[in-house]
Amino acid sequence: MKENAGPAATPLLHVDRVTVRFGGLVAVSELDLDVPEGSIVSLIGPNGAGKTTAFNCVSGIYTPSSGSVRFRGKRLERAFTPGTILRALAVGLLTGLLFAAAAVDVDRLWMAVVKRGMITGEPFTVSGAMERLRGYFRSELAIDQMAGKWRVVSADGSDVLAIKRDLGEAKLVRDALQAKVTARRTGPGTIPDATDLDLRDDGAAPVVALPPVKEEVLDRLAGGKSRIRWRGWLGLLSGLILGAAGTLAVWQRGRRSPHVVARAGISRTFQNIRLFSSMSVLENVLVGLDRTIPGGVFSMLLRTPKNRRDEAEARRQALAALEFVGLSGDANRIAGELPYGDQRRLEIARALATGAKLILLDEPAAGMNPSEAGDLAGLIERIRDRGVTVLLIEHHMNVVMRVSDRIAVLDHGTKIAEGTPAEVRRDEKVIEAYLGGEG
Amino acid sequence: MATNQAPRTSSPPAPSAGLWGFLAQRWELVTLAVLAIAPLVIPALGGALGGQVTNLFIYCILALALNVMVGYTGLVHLGIASFFGIGAYCLAILTVPMYPFQIGFLAAAVIAVLVTAGTGLALGAPTLRLRGDYLAIVTLGFGEVVKVTLRNLEQITGGMKGLNPVPPPGAGVTLSGIDLGKEFAIDPRWFYYLALLALAAVVVGMRRLENSRLGRALVAVREDELAAQAMGISATKVKLAAFAMSSAVAGLAGCLYAASLSTTADPNAYDFNRSIMVLCAVILGGLGSIPGTLLGVAILVGFDTVLAPWADSWIQQMNINPKGLSYLSFSGWRLAIFGVALVLVMRYRPEGLIPSRRLAAELHEGGTGS
Repeated sequence: MKENAGPAATPLLHVDRVTVRFGGLVAVSELDLDVPEGSIVSLIGPNGAGKTTAFNCVSGIYTPSSGSVRFRGKRLERAFTPGTILRALAVGLLTGLLFAAAAVDVDRLWMAVVKRGMITGEPFTVSGAMERLRGYFRSELAIDQMAGKWRVVSADGSDVLAIKRDLGEAKLVRDALQAKVTARRTGPGTIPDATDLDLRDDGAAPVVALPPVKEEVLDRLAGGKSRIRWRGWLGLLSGLILGAAGTLAVWQRGRRSPHVVARAGISRTFQNIRLFSSMSVLENVLVGLDRTIPGGVFSMLLRTPKNRRDEAEARRQALAALEFVGLSGDANRIAGELPYGDQRRLEIARALATGAKLILLDEPAAGMNPSEAGDLAGLIERIRDRGVTVLLIEHHMNVVMRVSDRIAVLDHGTKIAEGTPAEVRRDEKVIEAYLGGEG
Repeated sequence: MATNQAPRTSSPPAPSAGLWGFLAQRWELVTLAVLAIAPLVIPALGGALGGQVTNLFIYCILALALNVMVGYTGLVHLGIASFFGIGAYCLAILTVPMYPFQIGFLAAAVIAVLVTAGTGLALGAPTLRLRGDYLAIVTLGFGEVVKVTLRNLEQITGGMKGLNPVPPPGAGVTLSGIDLGKEFAIDPRWFYYLALLALAAVVVGMRRLENSRLGRALVAVREDELAAQAMGISATKVKLAAFAMSSAVAGLAGCLYAASLSTTADPNAYDFNRSIMVLCAVILGGLGSIPGTLLGVAILVGFDTVLAPWADSWIQQMNINPKGLSYLSFSGWRLAIFGVALVLVMRYRPEGLIPSRRLAAELHEGGTGS
């Protein structure tokens, strides 16, 4: 405990004026707490003093209403990186494409791009498909087939303008009508001989009689291009905004989730034991080791030699952790079958397996008899000797007074005293909080 | 001292340790061997029965897919049939002669599986923060949306007609003088073996998953999400992985289904009924248990598609029911028997017929979590 003197030394955990409110109820008020590296600090106080709430704040289960928790001088939050934005944009783009597909009618798009590529009997090519795709978005007239006849149709197939027996004839009609539509789009001046195209063709090509097309249909066809583009862009843009903003909002809300805190190096046990009770004892510890096992889904499915080695190594570490808490004989038992005290020790083994630098123990001696509690105190000291800092909530005063380097006392959410065990033991306020004062 | 301890305790792989794990492994091998030899011994498997059993294998794959979600991860999924359908339609779009792609079965199946996995991720990402019942409703809704979408995208999916003909796997492939496409079309045993192979691969994959880091994380999230998170496991990622894997395997089942029928059938083949049927099979057999799931499918789907038609034809042959009374036909009682069986199993064996070691412990010992 050389930490006391140096002003430069940042404590491992620094809780700064943390307040937690649930509605109108203040569970923890302006809590300041420093946990120096390599020490055992205890948090004590009567029931309902806000100890577990403070723990939940540190381990990321609650977000403090105000104040901050720093671990090695850093806030325990997921960092905002370029990757965050990229991910949000990628999700946004996907949503946008989905929206756009719905907006431009993906069913008709498919018909225009894929099915029309099959009807003329020519081999299907990618460039042809791209051309038809562009045609769809330019709202160009196209050739379709039905019942053995060729039809000149609008890009989405909803308007049929002409029906011909001969494919060549149909193509001529398509081109001529397209010229008309284009002229209407760009204004009459741009294609001067637009009207001539329908009656005359050079050389031996047959002259095609243009079917009568109503003015409003031509207008609709001319407007089709801007309509489909407008719909497409609107879909893309709204999807992009919705998807990206939604992803960021979710990211923001999950910024300080327990697993982020755990990965930073804080692990904990729970007051009401939360083991994976149907898994074996060994598996429980292996879950704690989860982060240290490399390899992805595929190495796992292929069971590569490396994956086997990693699993074997994890197993070895898990057994070592069980050995450390004295449970190595129970490795293959179901966790839920263990006696109460062993379950608590298993929780500690699981928390240690994560490789945490700070471990939060929430009433580890609850329900233990004095002899078991004594063993536990020894275990806590051994944890400290491994270089793991301990923050402890405990009601067994024997344990607290024996192991703690410093003790903080909470009452009604407020810290009323802090100091060495000897100091706290003499403190008037502490005695009053525990035994009740006259006010 | 840790090294002294390690070899002794870890010599049987702990997650499937003990006699039961050993037997279970043997049991599967024996079943596989029997199923592999059966078509050579039983001539009936070369006929309609072969097709029915193949169908059973496909259902087994689908049920194992659902088991990842419901069994391991504890997420109620009521829309597994939609992923089955997406897989089937993807394969069909990529292989039918109507469309220009017409790629081989294997490549199409790989793409279809990737697409279904992607769809699973896309559905899971925004919804996995929902708990229990709410997620069930979302998946139920998704199943309906997919069904209606498949029906309404008539240009792409052929609407109620479905897409056909889906060429048999190996169409156009000639292996040492044998035209595989033709063989598949003529002899159902080819398909029998293909489906059996796929099922065996899925079972092996699931077994490895169970005993791997990811499998443990799935169960940990099911058991106690908060505790799992406190161990540094991202519950969201783990659930997404479960969703993707489940969807991918369901997509694979869909591929086999479409190829075996040589059509996607109409979208109603992928509706809620199918999802529920598979869910019932998983629950009946034992949530989170591979042999249980397989047995559940064998019983429920086998009853429905093999036993019921057979019993009907037997009744007809024996001339028990000359007037065609509905209460004397076996199919008339099919759903009643189905329901009673489920009620009885849930009453007397809530953990399923072959419970997973983990879940059995959970139900009988009583949890210690809050």
